[in-house]
Amino acid sequence: MHKLLTVFPEDIYIDIKAPIDKFINFMLQNWSPFFEAVSKSLQLFLNAIGSAVNAIPWWLLIIAVFFASYKVSKKISTSILYSALLFFIGVIGLFDMMYATLAIIIASVIISLLIGLPSGIVMSASKKISIFAVPVLDTMQTMPSFVYLIPAVMLLGLGNVPAVIATTIYALPPVIRLTSHGIRQVDVEVVEAAKAFGSTKMQILFKVQIPQALPTIMAGVNQTIMMAISMVVTCSMIGATGLGSEVIKGINRLESGRGFAAGIAIVIVAIILDRLTQGVFKKNE
Amino acid sequence: MLIRIKHITIIVVVMQKYRLLKKAKRDECIMKKRGLIMLICVAALLISSGCTQQSEKIIFGDVGWDSMKFHNAVAMYIAETAYDLETEEISGSTPVTYGALKKGDIHLYMETWTDNIPAYSGDVQSGELIELGVNYDDNIQGLYVPRYVVEGDPSRGIEPLAPDLKMVEDLKNYKDVFTDPEDASKGRIYGSISGWEIDEIMRKKVEYYGLDEFYNYIDPGSDAALSASIAGAYEKGEPIVAYYWEPTWITGKYDLLLLEDAPYEESLYRQGKCECPSVRLTVCANPQFVKDNPEFVEFLSKYSTSSELTSKALMYINENNAEYADAAKWFLVEYDNLLDEWLPSDKAELVRGELLK
Repeated sequence: MHKLLTVFPEDIYIDIKAPIDKFINFMLQNWSPFFEAVSKSLQLFLNAIGSAVNAIPWWLLIIAVFFASYKVSKKISTSILYSALLFFIGVIGLFDMMYATLAIIIASVIISLLIGLPSGIVMSASKKISIFAVPVLDTMQTMPSFVYLIPAVMLLGLGNVPAVIATTIYALPPVIRLTSHGIRQVDVEVVEAAKAFGSTKMQILFKVQIPQALPTIMAGVNQTIMMAISMVVTCSMIGATGLGSEVIKGINRLESGRGFAAGIAIVIVAIILDRLTQGVFKKNE
Repeated sequence: MLIRIKHITIIVVVMQKYRLLKKAKRDECIMKKRGLIMLICVAALLISSGCTQQSEKIIFGDVGWDSMKFHNAVAMYIAETAYDLETEEISGSTPVTYGALKKGDIHLYMETWTDNIPAYSGDVQSGELIELGVNYDDNIQGLYVPRYVVEGDPSRGIEPLAPDLKMVEDLKNYKDVFTDPEDASKGRIYGSISGWEIDEIMRKKVEYYGLDEFYNYIDPGSDAALSASIAGAYEKGEPIVAYYWEPTWITGKYDLLLLEDAPYEESLYRQGKCECPSVRLTVCANPQFVKDNPEFVEFLSKYSTSSELTSKALMYINENNAEYADAAKWFLVEYDNLLDEWLPSDKAELVRGELLK
């Protein structure tokens, strides 16, 4: 009796480990052409983004950040600060690394938005779908990434491709949630008015609901970008290049300086991207 | 009539007040009840945790690879049965657990890859760590390819893609076999994990043989990712060339071929110009722990196995889906003579008795 109170009864045991292993092995042996195709097309997409990012010379990027931050903040001091921070990444010798990281972040964010915005709209339209979608989104955000990263490596190989997939899984939920939330929040009376004027469903969606929900949707986009940045180091544990792999090297070699240098660069990238996207969404308000 | 209405109003007001009062009382009551339930719960929790509370434990470091976990399991079993000591295993990366070992938060490593920890020899000399003995020193590390890459595998319908691949330098001719998916112009070598000392040596080796012209040497980021890459490629029947080491379940489960290299010479090794020597895998411990547990340490200093024995145990784990603790029991039954080598006869009998149960 005492044992039953303190220890979970061993007799009730269901083995879910073996079926999962079997399923992964099955995928490995039978679906590898499919995964190869996915991997190849993602690789092409990543290469395209990588070469687009790399085509921007360092000074142009700094100037671009200068003007962009001036546009959103209207303060010359802010834009000087942001471009100086970016310049600082170059000074500590991590500019190339930052480019590699940016390529992964941008690729994942683009994929997240391509999937997330439509899904968010669909989710806002139907309560039934959202009942199923919410736990899925929760799982995506809380499942420890390494759990699915390792099968991803087995299926897709090591490097930037599984990194983009993992980042997308983690960064996708906020944009879906906030898109759906934003659209639902739009005043019912506004929608009624649009209906009264004879708008079609599509017209209501694109001309009334989405413009009204734009600040919330942009907050979702901003969150998605931040989430993508927070995955940088995890992704480097499966061979993604860039600032994250610098952090890992620093940790593995007990070189705290190296780790901090790369860590600071990640923080700077995050701050600049955050302020710029936030600025855009404030302007929309 | 008027009076009546007044009366009724008064009654109603009084009743309302009474109800409110009652409600407040009831709420208070519920609160009290809740508090009591909470208290009981906390008490129950404390009592049940008190039941399982343990005294001084021996804390084993676990750096994640399976041979170390297996040796931990064997030593833990003996600590519990022969010496009646509580044990615990703490997992973490090499740098984290190594730091903890020096500080004393972790008491011992059963399998220290001495060459892969740059600070190790210094720490042993300065007495910050005590090397108790050599667990085994006939392991192998180097660049591996699946055997089917060289010999083919008719049963799986795999053609030999690199039939004349034997030495590390032969890789030059096969860059198109081991194509880097991220850079089609070159091949890909899955390297060692950055931060292990062998990583520097492997990089030098790639340069020394002029392979850097044909291959990208990739940092896999973590050992889990490295094993996943090998396992994934093998299951799919694809070619792969990767740094790895033996004994592991990977090398036990998959038929991998070690690429040959020039014979070992101490002066050439650090420059990556020859094969890797066997690493001394030692049992080492925190000095305070050694002082506190002389009897158990006596056993640890005699603890010695071999690469072959270890890979047999790892194979057992893989084939039977066994837990490390079960494998430890199987191992001690199978290689019963080890008990006599490691333990005084009375202690060995204690373990044997427990194994029979």
